[in-house]
Amino acid sequence: MALIAIGIGATVTSMGIGLDQYGRWGARFFPLAGSISLILLGIAELYGARPSQPSDRKHLPAILALLLLSVAYVWSISAVGYLFSTALAAPLVLYIFGVRNRIGLCAAAVLCPAIYHAVFFVALGVFPPFGRWFDLLDVLGGY
Amino acid sequence: MDIFAGLATVLSDPALLGWVFLAAIVGMIVGAIPGLTASAAIAMLLPLTFYMDPLPALAFLYVIGKSGRYGGSIAAILFNTPGTAASAATQLDGYPLARQGKAGKAMKVATISSVIGDFTGEILLIVGVAWIASIALKLGPPELFAVYFAAFIVIGSVIGKSVTRGLASAALGVLVAMIGLDPISSTERFTFGSFDLTNGISLVPLMIGIFVLGEVFTQIEERGVKAEMMPTGESDADRNGLTWAEYRPCMPHVIRSSFIGAFIGMLPGLGSAIAAFVAYGEGKRRAKNPDKWGQGALEGVAAPEAANNAVSGPSMAPLLTLGIPGSTIGAILIGVFLIHGIQIGPTMFLTSRDLVFSLFACGLIGIVMYGVIGYFGAAYVGRFITRIPTQVLYPIIFLTSFVAAYTSRGNLFDVYVMVAAGFAGWAMRKLDFNPAAFVISFVLASGAEETFRQALLLSDNGLMIFVTRPIALAFLLIGFAALFVRIRSVHKQARSVALRDA
Repeated sequence: MALIAIGIGATVTSMGIGLDQYGRWGARFFPLAGSISLILLGIAELYGARPSQPSDRKHLPAILALLLLSVAYVWSISAVGYLFSTALAAPLVLYIFGVRNRIGLCAAAVLCPAIYHAVFFVALGVFPPFGRWFDLLDVLGGY
Repeated sequence: MDIFAGLATVLSDPALLGWVFLAAIVGMIVGAIPGLTASAAIAMLLPLTFYMDPLPALAFLYVIGKSGRYGGSIAAILFNTPGTAASAATQLDGYPLARQGKAGKAMKVATISSVIGDFTGEILLIVGVAWIASIALKLGPPELFAVYFAAFIVIGSVIGKSVTRGLASAALGVLVAMIGLDPISSTERFTFGSFDLTNGISLVPLMIGIFVLGEVFTQIEERGVKAEMMPTGESDADRNGLTWAEYRPCMPHVIRSSFIGAFIGMLPGLGSAIAAFVAYGEGKRRAKNPDKWGQGALEGVAAPEAANNAVSGPSMAPLLTLGIPGSTIGAILIGVFLIHGIQIGPTMFLTSRDLVFSLFACGLIGIVMYGVIGYFGAAYVGRFITRIPTQVLYPIIFLTSFVAAYTSRGNLFDVYVMVAAGFAGWAMRKLDFNPAAFVISFVLASGAEETFRQALLLSDNGLMIFVTRPIALAFLLIGFAALFVRIRSVHKQARSVALRDA
């Protein structure tokens, strides 16, 4: 059903793609072909569907926690910069994976941002993502 | 002759040799860690190679792919858990051998067979690739579109358990590739008014998400499960030494499997796992001792290992000659070529011939390196892996994937894409969809669309051009035939399972 729903949504959106200056469908062909394929495959799935075994939901809270952390981590990089957000994310992800050693978690909060910053933003020369509200690099004096 | 010039270039450059050596070790370790694949390692390390010259960058990732395929056998033999899907067939005889105290012998057979298979594939690639490229130069847009079409169908239908879900994964890959501005008319497609989406979805964060972050999500479910390693018995020379008399019966299987692997490798999407199982089945069918297979036959280790490594070289042929990645590793390597401004396709043999043959030379040297390291050190790699705490390893991979996704274009939107792709990759695995088909189709879509529209312009919008040109028609029929054969085999399997249950 999800495939059919995505296919219908994509078909409607594909039909909204503008025609070229000669009124041809050039830009619509592939999106439309992909969308209609999804609808047809969704119908085939539905037709051949067998009762599936109930899936194991034991780990779902941890997976959702990791997803939430992932989104929050990217958002916090844009808000408070890479160093500060990584200092928060590193111990949290270790905790989700079952690390409970407090010294280890504290060490990760310091070492992870420092090592990644040194490798990517200093050694490789990538321009770091600065925070909109606050950035530790401003306090530490640049990179 | 070009390959000798390539070998001279590589052997006279110590830094390049250093990268190849590092790749041989990294690939072996990554391949041997259950759950972590060479594709994941390559996707994660890809942004680092943006800062390298093209040849070391390509050689580093290419050799990781080769060595990673071999490394999977270490986990299959020692931990009874295949490090990669390609080494699942190796496990059938490798683990029983380990239980008999012959893990060292099994690993030596796996190493030698992998090296022979990989060499065979690489040499066939070197000999045949320029020839294929010269033919590819003669193909017009209708023929090229037909090749893309056949690739979509084969990739979608053959990999994975479900034909419909595999094809749906491929269709989803096409739809995601359509996001952004149409390259010909600059019309916005699936952008929903978002400025970030007008640039389209970038390949690198998508792959890091699917292969790296997706694997981290999957590994949450494996928390606390520790791999138990069988003793390697290195001190027991009688059980774990390997003599020519013992290896000689393996040779016919190794040679046959190498050619099976090389042939399967040339076909887009089939990959090393299928090659390994086909070679294992064929080997068992022709074996003098088929009842010993599955209980610890050395030939049962040699056949799949030769086949899965023989895939590596020929799988580069469709990539280098047509720009069609035959495997996920090929799809990732496209990113490196593009970043370094190298146009993939048949003209590459005119514009970057030296680079291509130097890359093949790096492949040959990489095979020797992982062969030597593996023959003498596979047991140490196994021991090293048992000491890696996975509850620390995967959080490190998690954090690295974010910074790697950002590094590709210096854009936080790419990191959001990576997170979405990571969760989607996990969900696809859970629901039996096919992440590899999704990514390969994503890569193929732009080329397929371009050739399709060029063909329509050639024919003044008549679809009959794909039917009236014989080569195009042949490839379209190959696509449909592959789909038909696959559906039949799935039905046959389902029927036999139903009969068994009854």
